[in-house]
Amino acid sequence: MRARVIALHSIALIPVISISWGRAARAALLGLALASPAGADEAFVTNQGSGDLTIVDLSTMQPMATLPIGGKPAGVAVSTDGARAYVTSPEGKYLSVVDTRERRVLRRIPLEGGPLGLAVAPDGRRVYVADMYEQRLFAVDPELGVVATAKVGPTPSGVAVTPDGKTILVAIRDADKIAFVDAASFEKRGELDVGRHPFGVTIDAKGERAYTANVESDDVSVVDLAARRVVATVKVGKRPYCVALAQGRGFVTDQYAEAVSVFDLETFAPLAQVKVGEYPEGIGASRDGKTIYVANWFTNEFWSIAADSLKVIAKAKTGDGPRAFGAFIRAMN
Amino acid sequence: MSFVIARRGIVLAALSIAALAPSISFAHGPSRQKVTETIEIAAPAEKVWAIVGNFQDLSWLPPVEKTEGTGDNTPDKATRHLTLKNGGEIDELLTKYDAKDFSLAYRIEKVDVKILPVNNYSSTLTVKPQGDKSVVEWRGAFYRGFPNNDPPPELSDEAALKAITDLYKAGLASLKAKVEGK
Repeated sequence: MRARVIALHSIALIPVISISWGRAARAALLGLALASPAGADEAFVTNQGSGDLTIVDLSTMQPMATLPIGGKPAGVAVSTDGARAYVTSPEGKYLSVVDTRERRVLRRIPLEGGPLGLAVAPDGRRVYVADMYEQRLFAVDPELGVVATAKVGPTPSGVAVTPDGKTILVAIRDADKIAFVDAASFEKRGELDVGRHPFGVTIDAKGERAYTANVESDDVSVVDLAARRVVATVKVGKRPYCVALAQGRGFVTDQYAEAVSVFDLETFAPLAQVKVGEYPEGIGASRDGKTIYVANWFTNEFWSIAADSLKVIAKAKTGDGPRAFGAFIRAMN
Repeated sequence: MSFVIARRGIVLAALSIAALAPSISFAHGPSRQKVTETIEIAAPAEKVWAIVGNFQDLSWLPPVEKTEGTGDNTPDKATRHLTLKNGGEIDELLTKYDAKDFSLAYRIEKVDVKILPVNNYSSTLTVKPQGDKSVVEWRGAFYRGFPNNDPPPELSDEAALKAITDLYKAGLASLKAKVEGK
């Protein structure tokens, strides 16, 4: 529960000043030559086997770049302004900070334990990273490193932040709960029983409901965030991993079913099961809600699916073992 | 006062152990591994499937001494208990069965990592017709034997990959020899 400040010099690999200067110099020399096309939405797909990050242009579904990350990267979260992508390396024990425009790794922030799930605060000033081994959540300042630690429970997995930035939800996998962490005090302020082994956690755009994918009970818990209670449990396919929301529907990757389960967010009725590649994991929706994107871990593919017709639109090759666990889509304004 | 603090310390230590305990049976490392092995067999797929498609008989896999099970080939019901020649035991559950496409999937429900250094193992066996020949594909997905960071070498990702790769290679070679009558 205690917040803990760690000496800054032990965290940052590269002094902040040199980074700023480097970026300024680059910008001056190269102008916008390295910049990605303005307005293009992109996906940042972590490839755990090949240890890198594939950047996919979502308008063409073409891989545009591959960045070496190392340390078996798994979790990813793009900041709300689209400027940064943060990637966890649970085996390497670090968080990589990626400049999305320049498509390069700015720095690595060392973290203890096994950093996996993560989310970025709406204002971009904190990255919340779960340590799956030591029951804790780190608050990371992207420039400085770890600034606080909260005890949350056994095997914290998926992380999400409410749109107002006030509350952080953490799936506490081995306790079958979600924990509510107050962002201001960085202390756990309550928890709630959900299905067995919740992994991914997703919050809707209004901050009214959260959805956990429960790996062991093959269902999704729907949580009313104001009341802090489970309002529905939706049966899905085998080994659900994560939930995406679009067009009044929930889309759930079923790892053992090679499918995406689709259900109605109002009635909770099952609508369809879309066949995808083997071991689908990370899933996300485009900003306009028209398209769903899925990383297929075994088959090394990243698919796009129409959210209304449920037709598969396109498939992109990734590196080995794409997981894309987290908010992997960069939506440009 | 110091007595109270000491006691509280013991209680806290006990609580933290209890809190960790439930995670042990399901815990796994952070990075799932995968293996795909294939072999060509000079026999039609139907003939190969007649052997591979019987979930209740794994005698074609060299390390297996005995297969005992129930549920025939019914997904989510069929189980088998394998006794290995080295004395090890493995419990498995059939999760998919598609006789039309010659494919089945199963997962390990229980195994000692000393016998097979993996956790959360799931696997698919498929026989693909290639004219009057066939190709058998065996795919596995699993985590290493050690559930936490910094594994000992015998329970590392590499050890898990080697164990499964060796098993698939030996199994497929044995299956080929059996089907081709060599």
